[in-house]
Amino acid sequence: MMIFLIIILNLLTVLFLPFLMIGIIKKTKAFWGGRYGASVFQPLYDFIKLIKKDFVISNTTSTIFRLTPLISFAAIIIAAVFVPLISGTAIINIPAGLIVFAYLLALGKFFNCIGAMDTGSSFEGMGTSREACFTSIVEPAFFIILGSIMALSGNYTFESLSKITTNAGSYGVLIIIFAVLALFLMVLIEGCRVPVDDPATHLELTMIHEVMILDNSGFDLALITWASGIKMLLITSLIAKIIIPTGSPLYALYYLITIFLVSIIIGTAESSMARIRMSHIFEFIFIMSSFALIVMSLVGAKVFGG
Amino acid sequence: MIFYFMSILIVILAAFWTLPTAIKVLFTGYSVTKTINLGKESIFNNINFVIDPLSAFFIIIILIMGILGLIYSKGYLKPYIEKGKSINSHYLFYTALILSMLGVVTCQNALFFLVIWEIMSLSSFFLCIFENEEKEVLNAGIKYLIFMHISVLFLIIPFAILSIKTGGYNFESFSLVLKNNEALADIIFILFFVGFGIKAGFVPFHNWLPEAHPIAPSHISAIMSGVMIKTGIYGILRILMLSGGVTKFIAYFVLIIAVISALYGILYAVGQSDIKKMLAYSSIENIGIIGIGIGVGMLGLVYNHPMVAFLGFIGAIFHILNHSIFKNLLFFGAGAVYLKSHTKNMELLGGLIKKMPKTGILFLTGCIAICALPPFNGFIGEFLIYFGILKGLSINSFFNFLILIFAFAGLALVGTMALLCFTKAFSITFLGHQRSKYAENVKDESPHSIIMPMGILAVFALSVGLFPGFMFEVLITPVELLTNGLNEIQSVEEPLNILQIVSLVSAVLIILTALLAAVRYKLNKKIESAPTWGCGYDKELKRAQYTGSSYVSPFLSMLKPLFKKVYDVEKPKKLFPKSAHFSMKIEDIEEAYVINPLLKFDEWFLTKFEKLQNGNLQTYLKYGLIFLLISIIGGLLI
Repeated sequence: MMIFLIIILNLLTVLFLPFLMIGIIKKTKAFWGGRYGASVFQPLYDFIKLIKKDFVISNTTSTIFRLTPLISFAAIIIAAVFVPLISGTAIINIPAGLIVFAYLLALGKFFNCIGAMDTGSSFEGMGTSREACFTSIVEPAFFIILGSIMALSGNYTFESLSKITTNAGSYGVLIIIFAVLALFLMVLIEGCRVPVDDPATHLELTMIHEVMILDNSGFDLALITWASGIKMLLITSLIAKIIIPTGSPLYALYYLITIFLVSIIIGTAESSMARIRMSHIFEFIFIMSSFALIVMSLVGAKVFGG
Repeated sequence: MIFYFMSILIVILAAFWTLPTAIKVLFTGYSVTKTINLGKESIFNNINFVIDPLSAFFIIIILIMGILGLIYSKGYLKPYIEKGKSINSHYLFYTALILSMLGVVTCQNALFFLVIWEIMSLSSFFLCIFENEEKEVLNAGIKYLIFMHISVLFLIIPFAILSIKTGGYNFESFSLVLKNNEALADIIFILFFVGFGIKAGFVPFHNWLPEAHPIAPSHISAIMSGVMIKTGIYGILRILMLSGGVTKFIAYFVLIIAVISALYGILYAVGQSDIKKMLAYSSIENIGIIGIGIGVGMLGLVYNHPMVAFLGFIGAIFHILNHSIFKNLLFFGAGAVYLKSHTKNMELLGGLIKKMPKTGILFLTGCIAICALPPFNGFIGEFLIYFGILKGLSINSFFNFLILIFAFAGLALVGTMALLCFTKAFSITFLGHQRSKYAENVKDESPHSIIMPMGILAVFALSVGLFPGFMFEVLITPVELLTNGLNEIQSVEEPLNILQIVSLVSAVLIILTALLAAVRYKLNKKIESAPTWGCGYDKELKRAQYTGSSYVSPFLSMLKPLFKKVYDVEKPKKLFPKSAHFSMKIEDIEEAYVINPLLKFDEWFLTKFEKLQNGNLQTYLKYGLIFLLISIIGGLLI
């Protein structure tokens, strides 16, 4: 019975919250821009509109291009099964679920890359190249953070994220701060937000994620936007899991508040700063790596330093 | 052709002879011994050929890949036969290679092991230099030969020490010496590690690998990379088994070398534009991943942590199997492309998937598998190693924590770089527009004899990925040999349960993709065909298409100091430039800064002795006299 409730709750989260998150970000940006802005449900309407549309497919492309949105979406939806969402637990809670999660996301990314390259467009090649390159720095940092936290509790499921304070005592607060900061940067990088990428840019030369999907249309494009929203939601859910105390009866409420707050912060950040120059993005991503190393050394100090 | 059929016949006979035993041994865990005994005076006295689960595992891989390679070679060598090239010796050496590999993994007598090892190296050398009329092929082949002999040298020394200590050649008798003398065991292990490591391709002993693989015919590269270099891993595992455990120092040594190998290999693979060279570097990466598994397993043994030991070793052994499946698949695919387009340079290809869709899809399968992505086999091995590392993190020492977390992140970095490398390889070769007349050369699909072995391997890759539980249970017996003495009944349950979930996930992934495709089909929307969006330009900009080197350039520019880039540039000059070109090559940093200077020094040093050979008969007689005098005086002194 309980498991069904979890499944239904998590499914609903994955269905609606990504759109809401993007909607809130856009609303915040509109607020700071002095505009009234579209409704927070606008991304959902856009999604439905996209599904109703016909396709325009580049004649350079092959089957790979058509296959891409399906596989990358399926991979991300299944990855969501391993992450604790609104109910506080994941549908499948296994040790080392982190690795299955990360590799499913990587599968999605693999297909996004070859799908974009299939069009033979120079712009899409550019975006793909950048995206693949950024991931290669983000991923090790992500593994260091989660690996360290799991070493702390000796429990290798995502549950260990919520037990940092119980396991690390006074170090716990510091670990939480740096882990959350690093994961927040990861949301910005993987979610393609300012200052790494600008989803609202007009110039193909400066885009990363958006430029990869220039040639997608209709149902395919709908799946891709949904998938990238889900990806952002999943990483934000890890942040929520870290900061919300275990066994809190109001977990769902706190979870929603966290998602809401993170969206507002992202929107505010987007309104208040400009995109970083392309050649300096690496330095920005390395901030995340250094936070990861700090988390690692804090855990080391706690476990082995007494 | 007669040699081709003889080769098939002999390999199939060998399969009939050993395969049933091997399978039985692998399932039951009891080893089978066959002793050759030709009397006390003969050197063929008391030579043990043992099939234990570890040998059985390797025998199965060698035979399957050997037979697939034979099938493939029929299609691959056809153009060469039409050109009038003799392939008789090729098949002779091929048979010799397969049989000698079978010998290496079963022979338990040091002397004969070395002899068979040498046959294996020599036959693979002759296979490598198939196109020996080309100078670069011969050069690379000779480099390979030299490296193999350095490897043999490093093997002879520890074997000699051990046989002096025991007075025999049998592996069993070595075991006692290794177990009783820890300091000696360390030195011997390191010597063996260097010897076998040269064969396996661990950094810094890898240098022959990216040279020898590209020049060999594709089925030979596949056998060499997928199977033969694993005999080096076999050697390391065998020595580990004989010494029954290692010291802490050795465990960290192996782990660190392995992490470096994995990172180094994939880093250079990213930079290559020659498909086969890229695959060769990626072999170094995968050997590194196998090494990480072995290192983690050793740490488990050292700290008496059965779960960690079990996961590390089974991950390593799983990855040996996986790597031979997908690396053979990829080399077969690269060969198929080379056969049709006559180039290995992927920058000149592109758009091939429209002309050879089957080859393309099968190559893609290999690419996904080698990036260790579900639902293919590569994921399972790496998952087990990751899990082993995670479990090992709780071993109570800070140094251990530090090394393991870097191995953990290192493996993640290797994974993401592999993603970069293989999305590049696949998309530059098979997707987009055709980049040159080489790509236009390709007219039709590869022949059946090439598609079939690739298809079989792709099915293997998918079925191991979908049903990892079965393979996992089969591989427990060889791992038990390595973790001998540790209690591991509880170890098996947990990873097995997780693998079951992983297999469920893979199945759901495929079903969900199919469902989405069905939904899209049901929506029944109009599909309009148009050129790729060119940001306002309405003509296709084929020449502006992204190239492989521009694809990886942001990444490589970040890691600039780790490469030596060699440019060949002619800039366009004046108003109407006549010619201009640009090319960039990435040179192996070890070769550029270690091996080449050493060779230069060698050359300089040895030319000092040029004067000794002056063509004067009297001088040579003088040398003879001096030699005689020295030996007489020496003899008198002793």
